[in-house]
Order: sequence, then structure tokens, then C-alpha cells
Amino acid sequence: MSISRRELGKLAGGISIAMAAPAIWTSARAQNQPIKIGCTVSQTGALAGTKNSQIGYELWRDNLNAAGGLLGRKVELVIYDDQSSPAQVPGIYSKLIDVDKVDFLFTPYGANLTATMMPLAKQRDKVAIGILTLASNDKVKYDKFFQAAPWGPNGAEDWARGFFDLAQTQGVKKIAIAAADTEFSKTAAAGGKRVCEQAGIEVVSYDIYPPTLNDFSAILRNLRAKAPEAIFLCSYPPDSTAMVRGLTEIGLPASVRLFGGGMVGPQYASLMQTLGKNLNGIINFHLYVPEPTLKFPGIEGFLAEYEKAAKAANVDPLGFYIPPFCYAAGQIISEAVKATGSIDQKKVADWLHANPVETIVGKIRFNELGDWTERRVLMAQFQGVDDSGLDQFRKAGKQVILDPPAFKSGELVPFAKARS
Amino acid sequence: MSWRNFLLVALLVAAAGMVLPRVLENPYYFFAGYVVLQYVVIATGWNILGGYAGYTNFGTSAFFGAGVYTAAFLIKAFEAPLLVQVLAAAGIGMLLGLVTGYLTLRIQGVYFAIATVALVVVLETVVHNSDYLGGASGLTTIAPPAPAWFAGPTQYVFCVMLVLALVAVGIARAIEHSWVGRSLRAIRASEPAAEACGVPTLRMKLAACAISGGVIAMAGAPYPYYASHVDPLSAFSLTIGLNALAMPLIGGTRSWIGPVLGAVLLASVQQITTVTISSEFNILAVGLMLIAFVVLAPEGILGLVAELRERVGRRRATT
Repeated sequence: MSISRRELGKLAGGISIAMAAPAIWTSARAQNQPIKIGCTVSQTGALAGTKNSQIGYELWRDNLNAAGGLLGRKVELVIYDDQSSPAQVPGIYSKLIDVDKVDFLFTPYGANLTATMMPLAKQRDKVAIGILTLASNDKVKYDKFFQAAPWGPNGAEDWARGFFDLAQTQGVKKIAIAAADTEFSKTAAAGGKRVCEQAGIEVVSYDIYPPTLNDFSAILRNLRAKAPEAIFLCSYPPDSTAMVRGLTEIGLPASVRLFGGGMVGPQYASLMQTLGKNLNGIINFHLYVPEPTLKFPGIEGFLAEYEKAAKAANVDPLGFYIPPFCYAAGQIISEAVKATGSIDQKKVADWLHANPVETIVGKIRFNELGDWTERRVLMAQFQGVDDSGLDQFRKAGKQVILDPPAFKSGELVPFAKARS
Repeated sequence: MSWRNFLLVALLVAAAGMVLPRVLENPYYFFAGYVVLQYVVIATGWNILGGYAGYTNFGTSAFFGAGVYTAAFLIKAFEAPLLVQVLAAAGIGMLLGLVTGYLTLRIQGVYFAIATVALVVVLETVVHNSDYLGGASGLTTIAPPAPAWFAGPTQYVFCVMLVLALVAVGIARAIEHSWVGRSLRAIRASEPAAEACGVPTLRMKLAACAISGGVIAMAGAPYPYYASHVDPLSAFSLTIGLNALAMPLIGGTRSWIGPVLGAVLLASVQQITTVTISSEFNILAVGLMLIAFVVLAPEGILGLVAELRERVGRRRATT
């Protein structure tokens, strides 16, 4: 059988098309597939109070998809419940990466849960955005990890440093430190003690108490006797509540001008509502408060949308603490993908290391470990709070920013005066 | 099943497990399989004391946590290989079981159960206050790389857990078919009667407690390798204690196969529901299955099967 040149050409063309078709089809199909971002949210268990983070992610996804998605593709979230258990995390993240084939990752909430997925993210070479995780990349040193929260460099020790800087500028000479016996608190207390020693501030008492303690009368009475000018407290919601109630019952010496610093709890709407005017005078860390110096583009619109979603989901109605940073985590990915025009993990990570990102929580620039180059943990003082409910906290002036100086929105009122 | 057949099946399962990383590419199935096998070891270990001897141990997570932290300590201090970690964890678990047993086995029933819960609290507090073990925030454990045969660390740790599961089941089967098993069953039926018949009850219970503790602690040893991070919340989790109790009860406590069936069934359901329906369903599933089995099949799956066989036999005899 003979074959003409024209027939040979047709045959070769046909074979080429047939061979290329699967690749073309797969590529075209991939272009139509949504870009997937995977994570876990603690919907149950001890950290279930943080499940409002999901609203932050969902609002980011909805707004992005309404604006046309990313690279012409829709954005899809794949979210599972980690039950607040680190043991669940490696398996779920393997499911996200290996079965669901997500393109990018958000970490779980907090350092303990995140620690179990970091080696996996590094092994699979996926860009991972940290959700309020503290020092999660210090040991792993993964070049595609980026932190959404403003702990700054050396966050483990310095996240509450603003309180001690404030004490220094206020001319405090004697300070008392009390911290719950947990790593988060102890490390911050130790870091603060070192700052005091460098600044020549005398640490008159240094109490590490069991995390289960709920009666602070002995500690408060001991503090009265030491007459400090500032008290740094690093506590968790149950002990924060017990300590604030103890303050009201037992009181503090008139010498105390600064109180608070590292209390977890007064950021949550439920505690703010419960404690009401008892919060006055306390200076405490926060990540966002509605002060005029923090009017970043998009934050007010986000909070308005959040309020509606939170009501429907029956979660924290204010949402200042975690959700804006989850929305920002999404923005970190979307801005990098838009800028590089790609979902290539290396290109995205390189771009994030080299460029600042505009988000609803401000402009973020990352260092080599993926932490913010500058710490922006706020030290805000409760002022003029009454028992009228939560709406007051949506207005400026109730949580006045004292530190960092660049975002200062008011003047410090001495503790006793603020409570009078 | 004769010993010969049992060993043959065990060898076949082990061989299949070793080949699996070469055949199955997706690592997720090894993550999920690891958890199922971990519970096979834990449930089997629990059943040696709880099932054979009838002493309900609520402190399973104490032994599991001891194994986890023994391995984590060995990684941090000596970068010890996984085999050393497993052996050390089993040794520590046995010692802990022996000491706990000596202090608590003179009490029975609910009092013994409460005493085992206390062990969890004691060990967790010790870890909380140990800076070397990472305290409350835990310890990141970067384990040495897996041997080249395995496609990755997950596949490696899965195979290790498979071997541990076979070892645990082998131990349980050996106990069940020996004079030790008969002594423990006598204790379960009536301790004074067993004592009167010459069974050294305290010594037998101590042995059961030590072996059970050793097996459960052994299950915890690969955890630092699996998770790359250990923390007291996970290591001493109440869920481990709950599952350790539920799995043998669902499978059946009278034979070594009961805990295996219960663990495979319940852990698989939990793994599937976590990434499909809702993880809240996990706890609900355990609760509902436990209630259903206690009400409908108090002897577990094994009891149910035996009853069905008996009925079929009776029907055949009448026809």
C-alpha cells in the first residue's frame, strides 16, 4: 500500500491532534476549575469560640467572586472542623492537599494546631497563611509561610512589649508581673521582665500562677503590699474575668497607673458585655479597635457585613479580634496571585517576600520568616465604658490606642482615675 | 483459628502493608489508616485489662501520653530511631502500669476507674510543668527522614503502626489462649472464687495492668513522628480514653478479635465523617453506637454473631 505526501501530512496532523488533545483538554479544564483554598476551623472543642474566623474567609471569597474571581476563575473554600485537636490536623491537611487538591492553605487557629501542619505544608510545598499563630515558623523556617496577624518579628517574646514600652515612657519605676502557667503567657512575661531589666524598671513581684486558678484575692493582696506603679497580667478568659472581678472587690493601691497588657478575653464581645464598666482603666492588647487611626480601606465595610453574618451564625457580634485577619489572609493570597498572574507557589511566595500587601488591616510587609516586619499589636485602654451593652464598643473612644505611637488615638488616663 | 493460620494471616497482612506504599500513591489514605491502626493497638491493649480481667480503665490516655512523651523526649535528647522509641515507650508503659496497678488494684469497680482518671491528671500536670518537654505549648519534633523504601514519612509510620498492631493482637491472642487468660477470666467472673481456686489474683492483675499499659504506650510512640508536634492536650485527650473503652465494647471484649473489629469499625466511621458529614458527628457516632450496642448487643459484634449462629443452628436442628 502506497501513501501520498498529502495523506501522510493529514495522518501526521491527525495523530498530533489526537496526542495533544488530552493535554489541551486537561489544561482547558484546569483553567475552568475554581482556585481552592483549604483550611480547618475549630467549630467544636475548646477553641470553638474562634469559629467566627470562617465568616472572615467566606466574606473574602464572596467579595472576590462577586468581582470576577481570581485569574478569571472562581475561588472555592474547603473547610473542615479540626475539633480543636492537634491530632486531627495532619490527616485533615493531607486530605486538603492530596485529595481535595487545594491550591493554597490557611493554617488552623493558633500555634498548637498549626505546629502539626507546618511540616506537611513544607513537604508539599504549599503557600500557607498563618491565622494568629505565634512563632509557628521559628523552627520550621518555611519560606512559603506568611503570617496574617501583627505579632511582628520575635513575636513569641515581644508580642506584649508595647505595655512595657508604655511603662517606660510613663516613667514607671516599679512593676509587678503575673502570668498564667502556659507558654504563651510565660514567654511574654519573661520577655517583659528582660525589657524591664534593660530599662532599669524594678520587677517587685513575678508570679506564675496555675492556669486553673480562679481566686485572685491572695495575688491582689500581695500586689497591694508591693505598691507597684504598673501591673502586667498575662491571663486567659476565665482568669481574666476572675481578676477583673477581684479588682472591683479588693481594689489596687493608688500607686498603680497601668494595669493589664496580656489578658486574653477582653477582646471577646461576650466578656466585654459581661464586664462592662469594670473594664475601665485596663490597658490591654488587641489586634483591631475601631479608632480613627486604624481606618484602613475596607475595614468598616467588612465589619458591617460581618455583623449581619455573625447575627445569623450566632457568634461574636463585634468580630474585631480574629475575622478581619482571616479576611486579610485571603487578601494576601489574592493580591499575590493577581500580581503574579499565576498560582505557582514559588512565584506567589517570592512576590510576597518582595512586596507589601494592602489589606483591610493595613499594609503588610513580610520578613524572611513570613512574620510582619513591624509589630503592630495594639495596647488599648478601656475608657468611659458603661453597662449599656455592646454598641458602645463599635464607636471610637472606648478602646483608646496608646501604643504603637504611630496609631495612638488618645491619652493614657491613670488607672484609678479611669475607674472613678 | 490455629496459631499457624493466625501467623500466616498476620504475615500476609504485614506483607500487604509493606507493599501498599508502592501501590497506593495518595498519602491521605496512610494518614487515615494510621489513626485506625493506632486505635487497633489502643483498644487491644485496653481489652487485656478491661476485657479479660474486667477492670475498667478510664486512664488510657495517661498510658498513651506517656508513650508519646517518652518518644518525644528520646527524639529531643538523643535523636533516637523509631524502634528505640517504641521499645522505650512500651517499657515505660509497663512500668507505669505496674506502679499504678500496685497502688490501685486493691480497689475495684468504680473506685478503680476513678483512680485511673487521676493518673491522667497527674501525668498531664507533670508535662505542663516540664520546660524540657515543652510545657503547655508542646514540643515540635522533627523526626529523622524515613527509610528509602517508603514513599514518605507518613507511609513509613503507617507501616510501623501496622507492625505494632500485629504485635499487639498477637500478644492479646497469646494471653487469651494461655493460663494467664484463663486466670484473668476467672478474676472477671468472681475474684474471691478465683482466689479460692488458687489463682494469684493480685499478681495476675498486676501482669495484665503492666502488659495493657505497655501496649497502649507503644501506640503513642510513633505519634511525634506522625504529627511532628506533641502537646498535652492531644497526648492526654479524653477522646482516646473514650474510644479505647467504646471500641472493645462495640466489638466484643471476650476475644482478641473484638477490639480489632470495634476499632476498625468505629475509627473508620470517625475518619470518614470528619471529612464528609461533620466532625461533631464523631462524638455523636461513638455515643449512638455505644448505646445501640449496650442495648441491642451487650456482648458486642462477637456476641451478636454468636447469637445469630446459635439461632441458625437451632433452626436447622428443628427442621
